Amino acid sequence: MAGLSFSPDMREQFAAIARVRWQLFVNGLRTIRGRLEVVARGFMFLVVGFAGLGGSLVFVGAGWYIVSQRNVEWIAVMLWAIFLFWQFFPVMASALTENVDSSNLLRFPLSFPSYFMVRLVYGALEPATALGCLWLLGLAIGIGIALPGFFLWTALVLLTFAIINILLARMIFAWVERWLAQRRTREIIGVVFFILMICFQFIGPLISRIGRHSRPEVSRITMQVIRYERALPPGLAAEAIARAMHGAFTPALAAFALECAYGLVILWLLNVRLRAQYHGENLSEAVARSASPKEKRSLRFGWNVSGVPGPVAAILEKEFHYLSRSGPMLFTFAMPVVILLIFRISPQTPAKQGNFLAHAPELAFPIGSACALLILTNLVYNCFGADAVGMQLFFVSPVRFREILLGKNLASGLLLAGEIAAVWIAVCFMFHPPPVGITFATVAGMAFALLLNLTVGNLLSIYTPKKIDYAAFGKQRASTSTVFASLGIQAAVFGLSTVILLIARAYGSIWLAAVIFLILAGLAAIGYVLVLDRADRIALERRDTILAELCRA
Amino acid sequence: MDAPAISTQGLTRRFGDFVAVQDVNLAVAPGQFFGFLGPNGAGKSTTIKMLTGLLSASSGSIQVLGLDLAKNSVDVKRQIGVVPEGMALFGRLTGAEYLNFVGRMYGLDRETAGKRTAELLDFMQLAEQPKTLVTDYSHGMQKKLALAAAVIHGPRILFLDEPFEGVDAIASGTLKAMLQRMIARGATIFLTSHVLEIVERLCSHLAIIHKGRLVAQGSLEELRAGVEAQAAAALAGASPGEFATSAPGEKLTLEEIFLRIVGGKGRSDQELSWLG
Repeated sequence: MAGLSFSPDMREQFAAIARVRWQLFVNGLRTIRGRLEVVARGFMFLVVGFAGLGGSLVFVGAGWYIVSQRNVEWIAVMLWAIFLFWQFFPVMASALTENVDSSNLLRFPLSFPSYFMVRLVYGALEPATALGCLWLLGLAIGIGIALPGFFLWTALVLLTFAIINILLARMIFAWVERWLAQRRTREIIGVVFFILMICFQFIGPLISRIGRHSRPEVSRITMQVIRYERALPPGLAAEAIARAMHGAFTPALAAFALECAYGLVILWLLNVRLRAQYHGENLSEAVARSASPKEKRSLRFGWNVSGVPGPVAAILEKEFHYLSRSGPMLFTFAMPVVILLIFRISPQTPAKQGNFLAHAPELAFPIGSACALLILTNLVYNCFGADAVGMQLFFVSPVRFREILLGKNLASGLLLAGEIAAVWIAVCFMFHPPPVGITFATVAGMAFALLLNLTVGNLLSIYTPKKIDYAAFGKQRASTSTVFASLGIQAAVFGLSTVILLIARAYGSIWLAAVIFLILAGLAAIGYVLVLDRADRIALERRDTILAELCRA
Repeated sequence: MDAPAISTQGLTRRFGDFVAVQDVNLAVAPGQFFGFLGPNGAGKSTTIKMLTGLLSASSGSIQVLGLDLAKNSVDVKRQIGVVPEGMALFGRLTGAEYLNFVGRMYGLDRETAGKRTAELLDFMQLAEQPKTLVTDYSHGMQKKLALAAAVIHGPRILFLDEPFEGVDAIASGTLKAMLQRMIARGATIFLTSHVLEIVERLCSHLAIIHKGRLVAQGSLEELRAGVEAQAAAALAGASPGEFATSAPGEKLTLEEIFLRIVGGKGRSDQELSWLG
């Protein structure tokens, strides 16, 4: 880590990197996408500025209040909040966005100190750092106003805490970046994040459950947690400030020294990771094992789906292969059952009106089915998105788009059927078997909704396709126009379904809703066939645009 | 005389004001190994995209095996195989799944598609890693897979856009062997490539496109004769040394022919002051 001085060469390199970033930004403005990106960034800047300055003011007030009230132990709570945000926000964001490839820098004759500094500065220029620094500044000012004599000490401790946060965030990101560089580890990390997100959904219901019983062991665990938190950077920083305010300067200095030691250890770990990058680590995908002679000789036939033409069956098989290899998609498919589970474990007290399924369990099946339909939206409205360059094959092969769409729609329909079946079974276990009338009306409603979604989805898939990767989290939405159109259709479907259910309720027969849904499904089917018959013509007319979007790098 | 395997009349493609391909009239006879050459940005890929249905023509017509591509696109596509610029691969399938898929898209039954898949994987030396996804293949392996997919249905015409780009000598040898087998079987191959040595060795007939216009077309001998005749005519009215011709008894290479036709004198004689 020695030798972090700025030689003229280093300055030139830093200037060149800054210049190229600026040029990339300016050149990006040539496209509409680039201009929209600037608007989005401007909006983000406003949000960050507002959150930073507003939060800073809140911390000024909070810092002043708790010191004035002699509740300095509460500084730890605020530092933990800042610390967790600072560390988790960028990592969560990195799982949802594309990362900068550091190998682009490594081909230039950069010295390691230059590389280290560039990586540090590159990463530090992000919203979490700006917000964290502003909030810590607010806290320091608040404490300084309450006890002006401690401002310098507080500022020193919080500055060190800020540096630790910056270094730690860089260190974590350097490791995350290493995992994101490979497809397999990227998928694993994506699945881990998804599980974490699902777990967060359970926090509220679980806390409510625990909170209903005042248990002494909960207090005991809390005390143990507090003991451990004091040994970690936020706890140490808070300890250094609080002890100094109580006049215990030696423990305060010891806490500060330990905080600095954390900083040095993190710096060293970051140094180790960046050195590995600097010396060129091999991040290529692991070579798969070779096939045995038996495997090499074995014939692998495609699926045989009786009554379905070969190309349609081939597309159906391909769709299922794609979906089965997408961790994010598989987890998405589990969501309807997970949502029912969240409702199931939520407290069912009369005061808690939030868990309405406890009071109306017969609605569990329709709600679960509606969730199943919603998760198919991205699949249905941008059905060529994941094919990317493979789309070329559809244009050079002798298969009509009618059949291609049929294969894809068949896959979506089978998925929805499977999802609805899973929801029905889950409802039977978690609540009680839904009445026959509601089951029939729900299935009829889903048939109508699916056909309508497929009809519009097929059109939008051809008109506004967008390249996506099923294997990656984030940035996997369809085009903005498709998103708005799909939201409109879903709102219309749910609105119409509500009206139909109200009519059925007014007449006292759920079977009436089932009949109306079946009639609507018939009408939607006519629309579906009409669109399918025109799919070839539209796709051929729009092939230049479709291929330009899906085949771009 | 047989109808041409591929012919175009006045084929033109515009992108806004820019004319990428202008008034191209191609004629490729059945059984020819046809090389389509041109400098970067000359319009090669645009032309091959139009010939294979990946891009619409602004004007002009295309006949493939005597059928109008615009009117009989499905019938034409059934008889051609294509390795386009992007290779048209589905990254999240294994090689075997991809070939099976392509075979069935071209109308093969599942047994035939399965058997041909196994044969092609073996021939292309791709059978070693049956579980590897296409996205994890090396560039050379992807090229071989794309070629395997283009021939699985036994096409009468094969369109290849830069099949040798980024391919090592071993993979290149496999690809060439496959192409020569197809020619021996009577198929027609239409290929674009920047590797002129390979084109010279493989192709019997050539066309050169430059700035969107077809500037030469014929057999290699015809092109050579044309260039030499031009050089001789120019030499008659020029100062000594202005036009270099081949030494007596030596034939012009395809590279020399190409450079003379497209006027690519190059800048080999120009020096860079800072480069030793």
